[in-house]
Amino acid sequence: MKKFFLLVFSLIIAVDSFSAFESTYKPLESEKVLFINGNILDGEGNELLDTDLLIGNGKIIALGKGISIDDKDVKIIDAKNKWITPGIIDIHSHMGVYPAPSVRTSSDGNEATSPVTAEVWAEHSMWVQDPQYALALKGGITTFHVLPGSANLFGGRGVTVKNLQRNTIQSMKYPDAKHSLKMACGENPKRVYGNRGQAPSTRMGNFAGYRKAWIEAENYLNKLEAYDAKSDEEKMVESPPKRDLQLDTLSDVLKDEILVHIHCYRAEEMALMIDVAKEFNYKITAFHHGVEAYKIADLLADNGICGALWADWWGFKHEAYDMVQANIAIVDQARDGKGCAIVHSDDERGIQRLNQEAAKARAAGNKAGYDISKARAINWITSNPAKAAGIYDETGSLVAGKNADVVLWSGDPFSVYSLAEQVFIDGALAFNRNTGFGPVSDFDVGIVDPREDRVND
Amino acid sequence: MIKIINCLAVSFISISAFSQTIVIKGGEIYTGLNQESFIGDILIEGNTILEVSTKSLKGDVVVDASNKIITPGVIAPDTQIGILEIGAISETRDGDSNIYSMGFSVYDAINPNSTLIPWNRSNGVTSAITLPDFNWDPLSGMASFLLLDGSLRVNGMPDVALTGEIGALSSGSRAESLILLRDLLEFASILDEKDMASSKKISEAIEDFEIAELMDLQPRDVIALYNLLNNNLPLIIKTNRASDILKLIDIKKLYGLNLVLMSAQEATLVANEIAENNIPVIINPFDNIPDSFDELASNIRIAASLEKAGIKVMFSESRTHNYHLIRQGAGNAVANGMSYTGAIMALTSNVAESFNIPERGRLQQGMKADLVIWEGDPLEPSTFPSKVYINGNDMDLSTRSSRLTERYIDKRDLPNTYK
Repeated sequence: MKKFFLLVFSLIIAVDSFSAFESTYKPLESEKVLFINGNILDGEGNELLDTDLLIGNGKIIALGKGISIDDKDVKIIDAKNKWITPGIIDIHSHMGVYPAPSVRTSSDGNEATSPVTAEVWAEHSMWVQDPQYALALKGGITTFHVLPGSANLFGGRGVTVKNLQRNTIQSMKYPDAKHSLKMACGENPKRVYGNRGQAPSTRMGNFAGYRKAWIEAENYLNKLEAYDAKSDEEKMVESPPKRDLQLDTLSDVLKDEILVHIHCYRAEEMALMIDVAKEFNYKITAFHHGVEAYKIADLLADNGICGALWADWWGFKHEAYDMVQANIAIVDQARDGKGCAIVHSDDERGIQRLNQEAAKARAAGNKAGYDISKARAINWITSNPAKAAGIYDETGSLVAGKNADVVLWSGDPFSVYSLAEQVFIDGALAFNRNTGFGPVSDFDVGIVDPREDRVND
Repeated sequence: MIKIINCLAVSFISISAFSQTIVIKGGEIYTGLNQESFIGDILIEGNTILEVSTKSLKGDVVVDASNKIITPGVIAPDTQIGILEIGAISETRDGDSNIYSMGFSVYDAINPNSTLIPWNRSNGVTSAITLPDFNWDPLSGMASFLLLDGSLRVNGMPDVALTGEIGALSSGSRAESLILLRDLLEFASILDEKDMASSKKISEAIEDFEIAELMDLQPRDVIALYNLLNNNLPLIIKTNRASDILKLIDIKKLYGLNLVLMSAQEATLVANEIAENNIPVIINPFDNIPDSFDELASNIRIAASLEKAGIKVMFSESRTHNYHLIRQGAGNAVANGMSYTGAIMALTSNVAESFNIPERGRLQQGMKADLVIWEGDPLEPSTFPSKVYINGNDMDLSTRSSRLTERYIDKRDLPNTYK
């Protein structure tokens, strides 16, 4: 009898943990909006000039020329000579976990106390009043993925967030989006732990660390599955294996319930990481930073792995020395365009202008001899990061039925002079540059001049 | 000795270049002056611009620049070009001294073969100020000027400015930093030519001034301090908070400093005071993040606000290596309200003027021929230079990056090491 209670109790815990920290996100009230005569980059590879876009009930309703609607409640936006793109998505952000001001007391992005911290969740560190979200929104960011830092081999779980600042993290979480697992190659883990005289202190130490952890995860998963396979009678007398937060995360990867995102710069390390994934039968979703991704672009394409990359960062570390500006283009164009390239920021300034970063990457690719259209390059900051976050069925491109995450740009989004004029999240206006409508974090209220908000443009 | 350090402007002239003239025809020219662009020709002989004109000019070599934009070469005012190769490898960094403070010159460390030189040059930067590390000392080392021509004997000017930093400290107080700055300047102000006559005399002066001795100042440091007050050496102070800027303005007035503010993220709050005192400001136009409690008023419209107040603006880029991205920064400044001509000046003539770099930063008769022919709008980050001239020389624009690109877009079935 006692065992029975134990079983019920543990089942309750298991059920609870499954739904813990669940999203409570609700969109703002959406409007029915008809954008008329805009130049649309749809995130599916199409450039549709002088085209209309209709959104309503939070969704994309239609795209086409001369959409007429007999509804007096529809708001008309003249988009003539303006451009429309899907909401911009950053697959690599530390907003909230490394908020501004960057003071030690709020610097919560890296649990750098052990090389394996798969048990920590970025969402438990996020400060919802970070003033950086609103600045990113002004750059068209509607969704972003927050990762733990790269000090550890396994840094913990990342979370996908709607850029609609609210006062709990649950209310910002993208509903039903999978977690990511952040892993890291190379210099960072070996430096952080090597300097403390512990493993890993070398790249081979890094790899031993990954494999040891995956072996434990396999054992854990085997035990869980063996228990699950037992009859109800057996379960009456036998307790389930003790829960382990770290192995919960790793075994969820093996069950394909968590997406693997790996900080990795060097070509040969990425190739080795692909083999580790094969050894333990999990899938890598994306390599991040990948300054040398161009050296193995075909390998990435063959394995269906995205490269989440910068347009031009280099030189801050030895593993970031072999930068080529065509990196993103080469990854994109691998195997006749089967590659998956993403422009990521990893930076609170860069996230405000991912469109400019994509413009640089496209220009460098075309200078190197490719012929990459704007319609293709916009995928690097819309549909491709949506795929890498596992939310592509709902957002990332302007397709009827998808969420109405939309940016209206003052001009060509590949120009430095173009600014996001209006940003819609789930069909609701979240920012309007012309009226000044937009979010103001609690941090920004009255902090310089008590009568005003911190930034008032 | 003192004068030599301050005035040694090394400017080697390429002798062979005298043989023929180059005329760059039909480009849209931004001179770096406060004037509209115009379509015209530029005639170069040797290292010098002979004429810039809307009339048709003749030369031995004709370069067609029609439908292209020509600007002075970009001068990056806040770099570590030549003294930094890889950030995380301290052996490749030469920006810090354990012995010297204000007297520390980075000039001798400059590596003309650094990969940062062709990289930034290929993106339109023709010269740069390279600065020692900032260490939160109110006064630290000296910055040098160099041309990005890759000459093994560096073409440049050592010690064009002194540097320092005032602001939030993780321990201690900014009040202490400001007092120390005042004390050091007070020490400099009582020095006369007799004190500076020899190292021995300088050492005696140090012994006589308690704080100078306490700080373990070396004669070189004292020479730099003396130049600061007596030879109008620009002093770059990195600072952000509005109240700190006002204190620095007070100190500038008291000692007649040639102050240049850097970062200055709250400058918009005190723009009129900065303008009234003719203080140039180096800003990062991207930086609207309230990174610390010293920069709560940071704002994406800073460039426009400072320009409107009549302040001479220059641009910096907060990350290392890609100093050429001040072009993209300038584009963002324009997108947020700055004038286009003002942004071009911020990249060129404003830097030359603020740091007393002679004969550069403008496209005018008699100036050195540092210029860039751009394929399109230079403030669009997707525009590349088609030609870069430094001292009249048509520079090679290949880089380690362009070489690696060629290697990896070559699809022949060979190991990359054999391509």
